[in-house]
Amino acid sequence: MNPTVGLGDILLISPIIALFLTSLLPITIKVLRGNREQNPVITLAQALIGLIVAIGLLVVFGGVGQTAFNNSLVFDGVTQWMGIIALCATGAAMIMMYENPSTKGKQFSELIFLTLSAASGMLMLVSAVDLLMVFIGLEMMSLPLYIMIGMSNEEKFSKEASLKYFILGSFASAIFLYGVAFIFGSTGGTNILGFMESAPELIVTSRMFLFGITMLTLGFCFKVSIAPFHAWTPDVYQGAPTPHTAFMATAVKTVSFAAFLRIIATKSLVGSEHLFDILQWLAVITIIVGNTAAILQNNLKRMLAYSSVAHSGYILIGVITAGISDNGVFGASGVIFYLLAYGLMTLGSFAIAAMLERSENHIVSISEMAGLAKQRPLLALCMTVFLLSLAGIPPTLGFFGKFYLFNAAIGEGLLWLAIWGVLGSVISVYYYLRPIVVMYMEEGKAEIAGHSLNATTVATVVMALAILVMGFFSGPIFSAVEASLF
Amino acid sequence: MILSSLVFLPLLFALIVAVWPKAGTIRHLALGFSIIEFILSLGLIQRFDSNSSALQMVEKFTWIERFGIQYFMGIDGISLWLVLLTTFLTPIIILGSWTAITDRVRGFHICLFMLQTAMLGTFLAMDAVFFYVFWELSLVPMYFIVGIWGGSRRIYATVKFFIYTMAGSVLMLVAIIYMMYLTQEATGQMSASLLDFYQLKIPFIGGTFFSLQTLLFFAFALAFAIKVPVFPLHTWLPDAHVEAPTPGSVILAGVMLKMGTYGFMRWVIPLFPEASEYWAWLFMLIGTVGIIYGALVAMIQPDVKKLVAYSSVSHMGYILLGLFAFNAYGMGGGLYQMLNHGVSTGALFLLIGMIYERTHSREISKYGGLASALPLYTIFFFIITLSSIAVPMTNGFVGEFFILLGTFQAYPAFAYFAVSGVVLGAVYMLWMFKRMFFGEKGELVKDEHHPLHDLNAREICVLIPLVVMVFWMGLFPNHFLNYSKASIDNLVHNRSNYHLMTNVSGEAGSAPAAQGGN
Repeated sequence: MNPTVGLGDILLISPIIALFLTSLLPITIKVLRGNREQNPVITLAQALIGLIVAIGLLVVFGGVGQTAFNNSLVFDGVTQWMGIIALCATGAAMIMMYENPSTKGKQFSELIFLTLSAASGMLMLVSAVDLLMVFIGLEMMSLPLYIMIGMSNEEKFSKEASLKYFILGSFASAIFLYGVAFIFGSTGGTNILGFMESAPELIVTSRMFLFGITMLTLGFCFKVSIAPFHAWTPDVYQGAPTPHTAFMATAVKTVSFAAFLRIIATKSLVGSEHLFDILQWLAVITIIVGNTAAILQNNLKRMLAYSSVAHSGYILIGVITAGISDNGVFGASGVIFYLLAYGLMTLGSFAIAAMLERSENHIVSISEMAGLAKQRPLLALCMTVFLLSLAGIPPTLGFFGKFYLFNAAIGEGLLWLAIWGVLGSVISVYYYLRPIVVMYMEEGKAEIAGHSLNATTVATVVMALAILVMGFFSGPIFSAVEASLF
Repeated sequence: MILSSLVFLPLLFALIVAVWPKAGTIRHLALGFSIIEFILSLGLIQRFDSNSSALQMVEKFTWIERFGIQYFMGIDGISLWLVLLTTFLTPIIILGSWTAITDRVRGFHICLFMLQTAMLGTFLAMDAVFFYVFWELSLVPMYFIVGIWGGSRRIYATVKFFIYTMAGSVLMLVAIIYMMYLTQEATGQMSASLLDFYQLKIPFIGGTFFSLQTLLFFAFALAFAIKVPVFPLHTWLPDAHVEAPTPGSVILAGVMLKMGTYGFMRWVIPLFPEASEYWAWLFMLIGTVGIIYGALVAMIQPDVKKLVAYSSVSHMGYILLGLFAFNAYGMGGGLYQMLNHGVSTGALFLLIGMIYERTHSREISKYGGLASALPLYTIFFFIITLSSIAVPMTNGFVGEFFILLGTFQAYPAFAYFAVSGVVLGAVYMLWMFKRMFFGEKGELVKDEHHPLHDLNAREICVLIPLVVMVFWMGLFPNHFLNYSKASIDNLVHNRSNYHLMTNVSGEAGSAPAAQGGN
């Protein structure tokens, strides 16, 4: 083994470098100005430009499966798509941070620094194929998040959420690392590409390897909030400032699923029937738990948190499909497409929730949305689009996401998972309809926060339009995703 | 491109209504649009070749190439009249809701036009996924119509309606995806086209529930049975009808229920011939039970709207009976009864809406003696009542007669029971009529301070076309049935080996190759 670093490696990780440099920009300026905030618009603009540059670099240099740094990072279709989805979600979340009462204000530069650091960790996570790199990416993404959540202007819940997320997140990381140790012990290496070929065999012959893979899987189940490892999700999602919640629910989940896919792509599921069964049951349990618990919520953010748990269950079906098929491309593209749809609709619905917050300590309940359709017809319409899309009603993007996901599952013979998936979406209709009922059919005085919300409004409308328009062009998009994975 | 324009024009109308600057003229605009749509749809009759059972005016483009999903529309004798029923009822509904809907008029008409697009799309789509999109889409505007403009328990009713219907149709989605894989297995090319589905030979084993064809059959049948609704699955219907505003009830009874029976004719019976034949007894049974049960429950309703809602359950039972008789009489009668029910039940709901606007009550016991107070209203109500109980010369008679004839041929045992529905229908309708229109004046009718007004010119305009249709369809059924005959015969005779030709006489979209720009 002869580690060399060439220009090619540097070019491949240039998006990560760009993000890292951009993240330093606002905070450096702040220091140079004698610890005074610059105009937050400029901070936001710098961050968005950094993101756009990073997306551009990712598109230009990555995408055909090159590896960098001695096979520890790979830049293929998964990296590209998941990275782009995560970075776009980061951008939308930052726009929300700029206008949310619990995140704007004195520490905006620091917040942007942390967000972009987390984003560079995400890019590392989506491209990592060495388990240690996966771990580093995971931590680079999570550590800023712990701080971000606690940094909120909100007084009570965010500190609790931060601590809870930190402790449970550390547990998950430890479990993951434990698994890595076992895999290292049984294969003599930590690179997924290194043991990819022998994994289906090893998992039968070596208990240690099986144990390691199981631990890795459990670590990720925690990160993407698969029941029964989802208990942190509602508390953290509720306590964190809404923009951060949107960020966690979309960008963090997307990249965690990307890494999850890479581990599942080792075809360990094919070898171990038990692991395969357990994962299937976890998916079913997640769908049931997420959807039924969401019915009981009156707090909008908690409801969306449980709905995001349920969606993790749907996506896990896709991950399993990718894991057991000979050619995992179909399942993996289903997952990517679903994450794209899920990202748009979840960001949108959290953006509406953020707009309803009147102050940093205000917790929005569903009944407070009464009469929104009369006060703000445009926002109510957008929320309706997001919720119907989450429920999977055609012709929204959410329907096609589910359609492709379950199509792949049925193609692989996982009919029963698809049936659970569609039954879950019937249950989910009940709670997704409730905000619509409240907004349109009940009298009330829903108020939009008094402060300026122009940027968030524009972002919301763009997302709603994207959901409707991309629904019609979902076929070509899906084919493009699939083509890029070969 | 006539079918596409028919389906998507209402969507354009909805957009125009949404941005129309003058709030005061939205109703006029919407009425004009719906009449344009109706006139356009009359063009279908002229272009339709009634001697052919083929799919006509076909439009076919690739939509999602990866899964062989197409933008595929076509019309034949089965869907022709349902399309016309939809376009015929919409202007009537808009005119009928002129004074009933006062709140959020713009939103109401947007919902109505969206609903029209969804319903027409459901009747015309010939690709499973394309069909499913319209099928589910139709829930959303109806959900808003009931939920926003409905009565006091509207939210319960509308959520129940939505979840009930959706619960039925998701399994159909799974079945559709499964059948797409079956086409891939059979031909090597995945396709969601209905015509390719017809080619499938799905293995069937009698005597067990767990054979492939039976399972797929029930996945589809459940979705349609809930929509119809057939007897044990009907509980959403009375709630939705009672809470819906008048136009909502009209469109629900007039068109949306037919989406279910149409689904049986277009999808279930030709796709799963052995399973439908094997399980026909079940559907005949629940059809018959529905006829009698619906009639008995209707009889004791204190609320006249609920009475009509349960009468729908009874009438839809007849349609099911006709379809599963599998002969030309039954099928033709079933199709005819769909149209009849749309016309006469639609008219009944409109009439109930008119009296409700005057008195704000639907309780039968509070009426009485309306005949002397509102003579014109009484005449119209009486004609429609007769049509609903299928008196000869009215449209209802033709449909029910054919259905019973077909049932006698196929399964006489069920017919013996079903016939009782004719008598029971007369009982609940005439008894209701007697209590409302004759006898002593009820408390709402004799109020000296607020004398009731008889029908005004607008309301007469709403009812005239419906009454004309009642007699036209009753006296000259062949004017209508001739167009459907070829398609019905094809369905009856080639049921076990059903196929539809596509008639591509120079229509746009005849080229099978991909030409969708995306």
